[in-house]
Amino acid sequence: MPSNIHTSHRMVFLLPASIYIVLVVVIAILPAMSASTEEKALEVPPVTPLAAWGRELYREKYNCVVCHTQQIRGDVRRRNEVDGSVPVLAADARFGLEGPTTAEEYAHQEAPMLGTQRTGPDLMSIGIRMPSRQWHYWHLYKPQSVSPDSTMEAYPYLFSSEKPKAVGDAVPEKVELIEGLGYDGDELWATPEAVAIVEYLLSLDRPLARKNR
Amino acid sequence: MVKIPVGIPIFVAAAGVDNKFATLVHRYLLSAAVWLVLASGVGLFLAFHHVDPSLLPDIAELSYGRLRPVHTMTMLFGWASLALVGLALYVVAKSAWVPMHKPLGKVEYGFARLALWLWNIGIAAGIVTLCMGMVNGGREYREYQWYCMAPIAVGVIIIGILVYRLMARRGVQGVYISCWFILASCFWIAIIVVMGYLSPWKTGIADRIIDGYYIHNAVGMWFTPLAVGITYYALPKLLNKPIYSYALGVLGFFTHIVFYTVIGTHHYIFTPIPVWLQTVSVIFSVAMIVPVWASTGNFLMTMKGERLAIRHSYSLPFFVVGVIGYGLASIQGSAESLREVQEVLHFTHYTVGHAHFAMYVFVSFLIWGAIYGLVPRTTGVEPPVMLVGVHFWLALSGVAIYVVALCWGGHVQGNAFVDGEPFMESVRAMTPFHVWRFVGASLMTVAHLVFFVSLWRMRPGAFSKAFAQQPGA
Repeated sequence: MPSNIHTSHRMVFLLPASIYIVLVVVIAILPAMSASTEEKALEVPPVTPLAAWGRELYREKYNCVVCHTQQIRGDVRRRNEVDGSVPVLAADARFGLEGPTTAEEYAHQEAPMLGTQRTGPDLMSIGIRMPSRQWHYWHLYKPQSVSPDSTMEAYPYLFSSEKPKAVGDAVPEKVELIEGLGYDGDELWATPEAVAIVEYLLSLDRPLARKNR
Repeated sequence: MVKIPVGIPIFVAAAGVDNKFATLVHRYLLSAAVWLVLASGVGLFLAFHHVDPSLLPDIAELSYGRLRPVHTMTMLFGWASLALVGLALYVVAKSAWVPMHKPLGKVEYGFARLALWLWNIGIAAGIVTLCMGMVNGGREYREYQWYCMAPIAVGVIIIGILVYRLMARRGVQGVYISCWFILASCFWIAIIVVMGYLSPWKTGIADRIIDGYYIHNAVGMWFTPLAVGITYYALPKLLNKPIYSYALGVLGFFTHIVFYTVIGTHHYIFTPIPVWLQTVSVIFSVAMIVPVWASTGNFLMTMKGERLAIRHSYSLPFFVVGVIGYGLASIQGSAESLREVQEVLHFTHYTVGHAHFAMYVFVSFLIWGAIYGLVPRTTGVEPPVMLVGVHFWLALSGVAIYVVALCWGGHVQGNAFVDGEPFMESVRAMTPFHVWRFVGASLMTVAHLVFFVSLWRMRPGAFSKAFAQQPGA
């Protein structure tokens, strides 16, 4: 009796399983291997330990990536035939003064946070667009103090009324008190975590894109 | 008096089913329902977050970034997975003609219960660790730490082996297509989870290629084939007639494997991922129309001319919604993959609307239809019809409001992006849609509470009580 998928449970297992394995190799494993080989040729961007800790907090402790993307999309349909450059997609123009993001900018980053939701603005170039440390503290303490209609949640637990202890390079910083904060204490301190996160945000100033321009 | 085709009376159908088996299936479903209610509460909290976060407490454990993966992971791996697996065990046993008075051996029962325990422990640990701020961030639908996902993966493998053994023990020569979908998806999800957690490419673009693959395969090679496989058994069974075209089902099965596996990169259009990979994903996303409509058309043709049976059934209306939802959600997905559409709608809440359309109108409605249709055949107890009706209409109206609000709002948001208005305009414009989203989510949450009560009323122990109340018993 011929063994086929209609009469043999062994075939019901083997046939879909083997087709699937072949497809996964072609569509995921081989492309990932070649991207990984290309990545190895790219230089490792310099990252300060403080910014690296900030990224860890951003990604693994507060998971900010659910609302903020980090990608400037390039419109491959309008590629320049002469120099091969790709223009920024119209919808991303306000974030993309330095051109679309490249593989180089994500190289050697654990889980690059390209993101899938833009509930809040893209942060790929936030270090250029908003270089003020104090602004970021106000914004983290109470987003609505500097961006009135924002639906971002507040992170008051990243701040303290007394000066906290430093953690490595993360030296607590005093926050200038402004009216909108709704804070009635005498002084407000950014904890080491807040300092690290803001350091990370300020480091997002697309050094590679600016260098290549 | 109109004659209504009802098939086998419930008591007679349930009489031959091993009570241990009925209890096992019911425990899977009850666990799923608990996670559903919990995750709906979290979802409601998150929906309110979009309306006005200042009214909610600023507690790190309840922050949006942590609760969003709690909502998605609990819904996907707690609710939908456990419900589908519980139903799948029954569907495989029945469609393989395994004697229902003793479908599983003593050791197999032990392993089936162990799988459920492992699964529930994994979900519970996942919720706790996520709330504590241990997030596998930037990796959607696998935000759990590896040690929370590992018990679930072991559970899946146990279920896969049990399904295989049930099929090997079948009482007929043929292997029905439901078994194909169910056995294959157990294998696929095992590979997907292994790729998601153990892939050696953890940095740069290579990581994102695996991410696109993972995101879409976890949905399309697990939830979809399980829901479709269960429907291939439950729908003809409840209508008491054969499926319209078996060959169409076979076509759907193989095109599903080939097309669905390769479309993951459509989550990363216009990124530095190789353009050929993006183009392949768009082409096959559109080609998904073939497997989707092979199954949807098949189900619709099976339901054709059965309006009376559907009107008088409390489970079949869920199938009508689920089947139509499958067809429409997939067409929506195909359209969303196109570059011209992505340009406007990617990153917006339209995507969230689509995700709920697919996981709710398609997957969850088919799960409910199968639960209301099949569970009474194992426990011998029917749910209170009134509650089922309330569940149906609350869930349907809730999700309709939800999906319309987010898809409409997503257009407004996307056009604000394209028009180059200040970013805050896109946030302000979404507020009324988020209010409607909260309204829809509230109705859905109430529906889930009603569902939980109905499921509890169908529990195996209730059989003897209901039977004792029968006149002359």
